Amino acid sequence: MRKQILKTIFFCIALLMAVLPAQAAETTPTGLKIMTRVDDRPDGDDRTQMLTMTLINKSRRQRIRKVKSYSKDFGKDKKSVMVFEKPADVRGTAFLSWEYDDPAREDDKWLYMPAMKKVRRISGASKNEYFMGSDFTYDDMGDRNVEEDTHTLLGEEVVDGHDCWKVESIPVDPEDMYTRKVIWVCKAADMAIKAEYYDKDGLLKTFKALDFRQQDGFWTLFKSEMDNVSRKHKTVMEIDSVKYNTGINDNLFRVSTIQRGNIR
Amino acid sequence: MSRPFGCLLVLFCLLGGMTVQAMASETNMPWLEPFSLTGWAEAIQSVRTHRPNDSLTSRARLRLELEADFNVFYGFVSADAEKNWQIEDETGIDLQEAWLEYAADRWDLRIGRQIVIWGKADGVQITDIVSPPDYTESITRDLDEIRIPVDAAKLRLLGDFVNTELIWIPVFEPAVQPSGDNPWAVETDLPDNVHVTMADVDEPDTSMENSEIALKVAAYLSGLDVAASVFHTWDDNPAFHRTIRREGDTVFVDYAPRHHRLTVLGLEFSRPWSDFVFRGEAAYYIGKYHETKPTALDPMQRDLLKWLGGVDWTPGNDWTVIAQITGDIIMNHDARLADEAFETMATLSISKELLNQTLTVSNMLYYDLNENEIYTRPKADYALTDTWHLMTGADIFCGDDGRFGGYRNNSQVWVKIKYSF
Repeated sequence: MRKQILKTIFFCIALLMAVLPAQAAETTPTGLKIMTRVDDRPDGDDRTQMLTMTLINKSRRQRIRKVKSYSKDFGKDKKSVMVFEKPADVRGTAFLSWEYDDPAREDDKWLYMPAMKKVRRISGASKNEYFMGSDFTYDDMGDRNVEEDTHTLLGEEVVDGHDCWKVESIPVDPEDMYTRKVIWVCKAADMAIKAEYYDKDGLLKTFKALDFRQQDGFWTLFKSEMDNVSRKHKTVMEIDSVKYNTGINDNLFRVSTIQRGNIR
Repeated sequence: MSRPFGCLLVLFCLLGGMTVQAMASETNMPWLEPFSLTGWAEAIQSVRTHRPNDSLTSRARLRLELEADFNVFYGFVSADAEKNWQIEDETGIDLQEAWLEYAADRWDLRIGRQIVIWGKADGVQITDIVSPPDYTESITRDLDEIRIPVDAAKLRLLGDFVNTELIWIPVFEPAVQPSGDNPWAVETDLPDNVHVTMADVDEPDTSMENSEIALKVAAYLSGLDVAASVFHTWDDNPAFHRTIRREGDTVFVDYAPRHHRLTVLGLEFSRPWSDFVFRGEAAYYIGKYHETKPTALDPMQRDLLKWLGGVDWTPGNDWTVIAQITGDIIMNHDARLADEAFETMATLSISKELLNQTLTVSNMLYYDLNENEIYTRPKADYALTDTWHLMTGADIFCGDDGRFGGYRNNSQVWVKIKYSF
């Protein structure tokens, strides 16, 4: 009997020893796992949104950029179209991209310019350019593969009442415009709600989510700001309207559609 | 305040900046919602860099664009109102485009007056000859400003990756060349004993037989765009046929300009790689007439191959570099032809955006390798606000009497202001 009790105790200890580290690993994910979850955060099969960016310079002068965007998942790949509505001189400019999950495969991108009335193939590699004079680069707007950085979990912090993972991301490419990023990821939403971007001269810019909540069951960032410390320039990005899973027609993501000069 | 800029100010006051959509919501007229009225107003003034340092370009222009979006049906009308203080014939109101489009899932049809643009070239026309050019101000206008719309029906069959485009143009539209007292008109020096008469240009009548037909198949694949085309057209520029009479020492040359049929076979591709996009384009003109050197000799018919290779480089930091090399090859060349058998030109465009992309500084350089002549177009474009742009630049021609050197006394610096709404 005693032997049996000891056996049971040993078995339970062995089981605990086997399970506990696994549980610890579950509760403390790696930096890579956190950033993969951010990247894989459910956002429907397709989405339509109207985006307004307010660009504010150091003398508080404002410029407005308004963009309507459509995107749809095709397996692990994504196709998207952005149509510029403001300012007036670029109204009707359309940007089509086919983004591939495979980091070895270059994205396909085309630009339609109403003044030229033709579609032009553009390079898929320049993701570090600032988007329409704002403080967001194409990469900052989500167009970046998780594998392009090395992610390290630095710890846990509370930001504006939200429990967050604090992750450091260092670009694999030493030529990248950032030397490192520190990102606070909201645990409940799997969303980056604060970030600091550094280059070789130090802090370059800070990002802050100002309004994020669930819509149609999906966590959505409605308002955020990017403060470029070095340029003394700030961009406030707001989503005026967002719709998920409306069944956008695949035709919208064809080159022939943006070639028309009117997206419909 | 100079005349063009004063005129622009008046136009701006008239426009008032109210959009059709704003009117629809403010006046409770929902039937206005499918419509939108946009456009721009601009004024440009230039000064010749050579004596007598007079004005070469002086105009104000208003462009109105009306769109009507009824889902599968879509209509578009654009019109220009221009006051030109330099070239009086340009003053007036012009209908630019006016077309109606129906879009289905796998095809669309656009009927009416429209601009059709083909090709991968930048600032150079190889296969891009569906809409003829307007060279009223030579090549100093941007390429997107010089296209003449054509009355056409354009049917596209739309695949996921491959499109087939069929265009029917029943009404011939010629290219426009500068003439008369236009400062960009080319003068020909003739000996005193040569007298010239010029008949009206013989243009093809509007008929089924004289229609122009174009077919293009284009594929947009992952990492490669490629297209092939055939265009049965009329040469946009007439061939200057002539008859010669001699009376003693005097020579009478009677020109009878006539447009000829052309068939143009085209190929084009575009391939991205890293920060680069490589582009190529070629067109084979079957039945092209060429000008001759001797005054007494009629134009000669020889096939022509036009080609272009280019690369776009976007290294980051808001730099863009575009380099191209392009050429003409006349088949079975005859030494009496005015053009050489092989003519080659290089272009280099560099642009940089500064001050949070509010200032764009750029230059487009054309270099004629045969004649060793240059045309360069430096430009600075500053966005004063989201709607107002202030631009300044120059058109500098260097060389002797070739395609650029012929305008060496027309080099100019200019300033332009543009309001978009």
